[in-house]
Amino acid sequence: MSDLICVGAISGAYGVRGEVRLKSFTAEPEAIADYSPLSSEDGAQSFTVTIIRPIKGGFAARLGGIATKEQADALRGTRLFARRDQLPSLPDDEFYHADLIGLQVFDTGGHELGRVKSVQNHGAGDLLEIHGPGLKSTVLLPFTRDAVPTVDLTAGRIVADPPDGLFPE
Amino acid sequence: MSRSVWKGPFVDAYVLKKAEAARESGRNEVIKIWSRRSTILPQFVGLTFGVYNGQKHIPVNVTEDMIGQKFGEYSPTRTYYGHAADKKAKRK
Repeated sequence: MSDLICVGAISGAYGVRGEVRLKSFTAEPEAIADYSPLSSEDGAQSFTVTIIRPIKGGFAARLGGIATKEQADALRGTRLFARRDQLPSLPDDEFYHADLIGLQVFDTGGHELGRVKSVQNHGAGDLLEIHGPGLKSTVLLPFTRDAVPTVDLTAGRIVADPPDGLFPE
Repeated sequence: MSRSVWKGPFVDAYVLKKAEAARESGRNEVIKIWSRRSTILPQFVGLTFGVYNGQKHIPVNVTEDMIGQKFGEYSPTRTYYGHAADKKAKRK
């Protein structure tokens, strides 16, 4: 589990008064400002974020310490990160994608099936995409109590009881 | 133009046969189907279908609110990962 989570990116300057174009990757795009202050990937820079208005492809925003168009232009392409502990805690059986990605997956017999590559939802419930040794392509596992009885974030492991026919024998 | 009501919903016959066999066996299995055009019927509720997207079978747990839609709607043919950010997954 990574300590920093990418929640947005700066795609350039907006106007001539030091505002920036901000792309948000959060579930509710406006929520990016709730995680302020955001830092760059190396942690060298930190910005408070104030959203001014929505624009095509994101938001016009003002960042703390950025006052001119030249400073805003220099930040083009910078990804913005929030600390994991800034995210609110969730009720039981709800997990952040960022927490699930990378967990090791074992079957009920203790045999390793692979690691979680991504979490997807195509309208029929959440699916864990699992990539592992011996698999030609990734496998999608329904994220249900039946198929995934145990999620242990502290140990970094998931115990799965996949339906027949999902994993190759 | 929408489908005539007197014809009833379209379902490929093999999907019906496979669903019936799975329900009778009572086993926890993914029913692999290639028919994205078949309508989801009430008797499919509770079953898990693996709907082909041209590359692999995407698991689809059928629930009541899916009735009347097509299987293909739940098995996209293009992949977009995006960013995890603060997105949440709920275990049902």
